Amino acid sequence: MTSLSATPAPPPISDGTATPQTDPDIVQAFLDQPAMMLRARAISKTFVLHTQGSVRIPALDHVDLDLARGECVVLVGPSGAGKSTLLRCLYGNYLASAGTIHVRTPVSPTSQRDEAAICTALTGASPHSILALRRQVLGYVSQFLHVIPRVPTLTLVAEPLVLRGVERELAQTRAATLLERLNVPRRLWNLAPATFSGGEQQRVNIARGLIAEHPLLLLDEPTASLDADNRAVVAALIDEARARGAAIVGIFHDEDTRAQVATRRLEFQPVLRTAA
Amino acid sequence: MLNPLLEVRHLTKRYGERIGCRDVSFDLYPGEVLCVVGESGSGKSTLLNTLALRHAADAGTLRYRSVQDDWLDLLALSEPRRRLLMRSEWGFVEQNPRDGLRAGVSAGANIGEPLMAVGARHYGRIRDTAAQWMERVELDTARIDELPSAFSGGMQQRLQIARNLVTGPRLVFMDEPTAGLDVSVQARLLDLLRTLTSQLNLSALIVTHDIGVARLLAHRLMVMQHGSVVEAGLTDQVLDDPQHPYTQLLVSSVLPV
Repeated sequence: MTSLSATPAPPPISDGTATPQTDPDIVQAFLDQPAMMLRARAISKTFVLHTQGSVRIPALDHVDLDLARGECVVLVGPSGAGKSTLLRCLYGNYLASAGTIHVRTPVSPTSQRDEAAICTALTGASPHSILALRRQVLGYVSQFLHVIPRVPTLTLVAEPLVLRGVERELAQTRAATLLERLNVPRRLWNLAPATFSGGEQQRVNIARGLIAEHPLLLLDEPTASLDADNRAVVAALIDEARARGAAIVGIFHDEDTRAQVATRRLEFQPVLRTAA
Repeated sequence: MLNPLLEVRHLTKRYGERIGCRDVSFDLYPGEVLCVVGESGSGKSTLLNTLALRHAADAGTLRYRSVQDDWLDLLALSEPRRRLLMRSEWGFVEQNPRDGLRAGVSAGANIGEPLMAVGARHYGRIRDTAAQWMERVELDTARIDELPSAFSGGMQQRLQIARNLVTGPRLVFMDEPTAGLDVSVQARLLDLLRTLTSQLNLSALIVTHDIGVARLLAHRLMVMQHGSVVEAGLTDQVLDDPQHPYTQLLVSSVLPV
């Protein structure tokens, strides 16, 4: 084969892929508090709707949150107070307008890292690092199932484990156990969930969200369309995740579930909407 | 972090006075699927064709890290070397499968040909590989000797994908690969593309006007308008929290399912 002409490797580039500088105080906090998984400071979010006369909608105003292993913080407050917006900012799905979010970097036993690498900034991170954090650290369960059509339920649920390098067969066994636990009938496992009921889809979504045992879980109303029995199953699964050391932050529409899973509550009030 | 596979800086393509694409910069990483979205005339196909060296760029730099880990200056590549690269490390899936298939030879030969172009000579083994790829893209291997025209549009598209992937490329360009297919066939093709890109750790640059396709396939998204990239980022972030007026318009124009 003809060799292709070569040029030397290009110099490092600065197109936003560089790791943002982390405040030494935040690094120190992660060093001092071994259980701390996440620190969010002064998170603000304002939506600017360019298609509607550039109206500005403030959703979050200087929200602080620390989250430790074994903790389940429940966000409470009226609809429109910004609870979901905060979760989405923590997942990197929304861009925070101001403030910083740091999560503990997953420990890789072979690498010798300097102190600053103990946490990773989610705010300002490249798509690349956010995807890596989602694979290894951040699990998110939304209210609705958004998946590729035609893929069977069992494969969908096993997918996050496979992405983390677990063998397909083992991942599917684990998926089956979880679906069984969530009372998703076995006859549905080899079907795509598009035609399932709302509650069934939600349980598939929960299984998909919990299977990889992410150390940090973000739960956005995972029990909204479930009956009391299935809500109890989900609450038990959340408790188990917490017991194995997951740090959890969630929104739950019913007080029973909140009472069962919460170790702490964070109150939200709608941001005052002054005419801008 | 991994090294990028493709490094694009300030790439510009003009058609006379008219701008095709302007000042486009990005990196593509191994195993990454990047979708370029925008309406027709936004310059996304021009960008794709310029990146794939089908159109000559007017300004900027374009580098590719070859399988030998050398950085190649693509804009200065000689024609034979460009063709070698296309055969051995790249693929290009056309919007219309008829443009990417050879009408006069069988399905099996369409898959086997690229193998022969990179040096395979053993007829039996080539035929076996072609059959394996037909299976992989869910085509009936009993039809290996039929001409492409005997297959439906969705099947032809899968045949074209097999023809492009059989040589084990590292980078594949796709121009609206699901356009012109029935919705049911689209879903199947999306599933196939997603499985193949992740199994083969393939980097892909996909042009599409379909936001739904982009959401399901892409890790990362670039939004183009009037030849420029107006917004880029993580797919779900760009679609759920678009910052640029044009992206907001594009996302809000998608009909609810």
